[in-house]
Amino acid sequence: MFDVLTENFDAFASGLWVTTRLVFASFVVALVLGTVVAALRVAPVRAMQAAGAVYVEIFRNTPLLVLLFISFAGLRRAEVDISAWTAGIASLGVYTSAYVAEALRSGVAAVSRGQIEAGLSLGFSYAAVLRRIVLPQAFRTVIAPLASVTIAMVKNSAIVGASLLALPDLLKEARIVNSNTFQTTEAFFWAAVGYLLLTATATVVFRALESRYAIHR
Amino acid sequence: MGYLFDPENWEWLGTDNNLRFLLEAFLVNLEIAVIAMVLALAIGLGLALLSIAGNAFVRRGAKVWVDVFRNLPLIFLILYLALTIPESVRDFWADNAPGFLPDALRSRLVLAGIGGLVLYNSAVLAEIMRAGILSLDRGQREAAAALGMSYRQQMRFVVLPQGLRRMVPATVSQLITLNKDTTLVSIIAIQEVVRSGRILSQTAGNPFAGGGDVEAPILQVMIFIGLLFVLVNFGLSRLSRLLEVREGRRTAAPAASVAGVEETVAVAEAR
Repeated sequence: MFDVLTENFDAFASGLWVTTRLVFASFVVALVLGTVVAALRVAPVRAMQAAGAVYVEIFRNTPLLVLLFISFAGLRRAEVDISAWTAGIASLGVYTSAYVAEALRSGVAAVSRGQIEAGLSLGFSYAAVLRRIVLPQAFRTVIAPLASVTIAMVKNSAIVGASLLALPDLLKEARIVNSNTFQTTEAFFWAAVGYLLLTATATVVFRALESRYAIHR
Repeated sequence: MGYLFDPENWEWLGTDNNLRFLLEAFLVNLEIAVIAMVLALAIGLGLALLSIAGNAFVRRGAKVWVDVFRNLPLIFLILYLALTIPESVRDFWADNAPGFLPDALRSRLVLAGIGGLVLYNSAVLAEIMRAGILSLDRGQREAAAALGMSYRQQMRFVVLPQGLRRMVPATVSQLITLNKDTTLVSIIAIQEVVRSGRILSQTAGNPFAGGGDVEAPILQVMIFIGLLFVLVNFGLSRLSRLLEVREGRRTAAPAASVAGVEETVAVAEAR
């Protein structure tokens, strides 16, 4: 059991590191895009709301695997020079951003209407009200849903690795170890430990954030 | 943009049997989703009941099982099963699968695909059901006990009908996720829609591979497949919202939510 880990430690460690970087980079993309889309969805302009809604419905309802094929094989076929990393981070980030936007929107809805009106009547622009008054509170109410989204993203990162050959993530390293050693259960067991380690870390970090910043309503 | 909307790159959709080829493959995805959902619901209910059982040992075991399998990547489970399900079991399935199933569902690896989907989703659904049951006021069960009902009767007539009703929106949301996840079985070479799309993009326009003379670029093929999923899943999410509203009118219960699934859906909508 342990010899599979010790003899292939470098492979597992580098796989874990690739998965971690993939998740981190995609999380940043998802957070930025998700915030923009959530802002669109609560904007006072009808067209902006509709654009935000269409974005969410498209990316939430399309399989990640299909997004990966579009962004890598599809774009390359269209002679766009995109790397596996860019395609992987963009796909996972855009896919997750739809869920982030939905979570944030519910957080925005939890901020009382009176605060927005008060801000506007003090002469803040709508963007300033969102940025200085509404979003800071919205983020603090949706820490728990964001934790779920992040854990789902750790799991979904394995789809990115399974579909893009040039991205040697934890699952792919486990498959390589398996084909070298023929010890399938051991190889997958240690990869599972790696994934549970990542999801457990995310849980602990978000729980800490929650106990420090969360507003319960 | 010119490339994307160039009518020449969409011509494949109307030629030969391409459209029919993709739609038939998409049907396989929907069938896999339905089969996996039915099995996952049944097993998930069992796991949920175990995770609220009176025996602490059983409860602990069920919780660990659920937490492990809902926190592992689904594709991880599918690939593991594809590598470890014994040859004899696969052969048995390939030889004895009921004839009314489409070819893709009688292939030897389909057990790994559906097995992975069921393993993962039964754990997720068990957690949703557990939250639904636990969101129910304690007094309900105590009242049932006071009326002289046995544990089994309390569950069957009082707790489950109310608890399970509360998890309908979360379950539909998970069904949408499951529907998207059926594409993952393409990675173990089961011919569903994504795999068919790849085959189409490689063979159409290639006379040596038996295709016609109109090429099917993978970008356009995959966008079309994506739209199929958006269509079906959007319909499902509308249905879920409809159910939510109806439930909300009937019962005004406190909300409870389940973590770890992609979307945190309140198990019981308070509105």
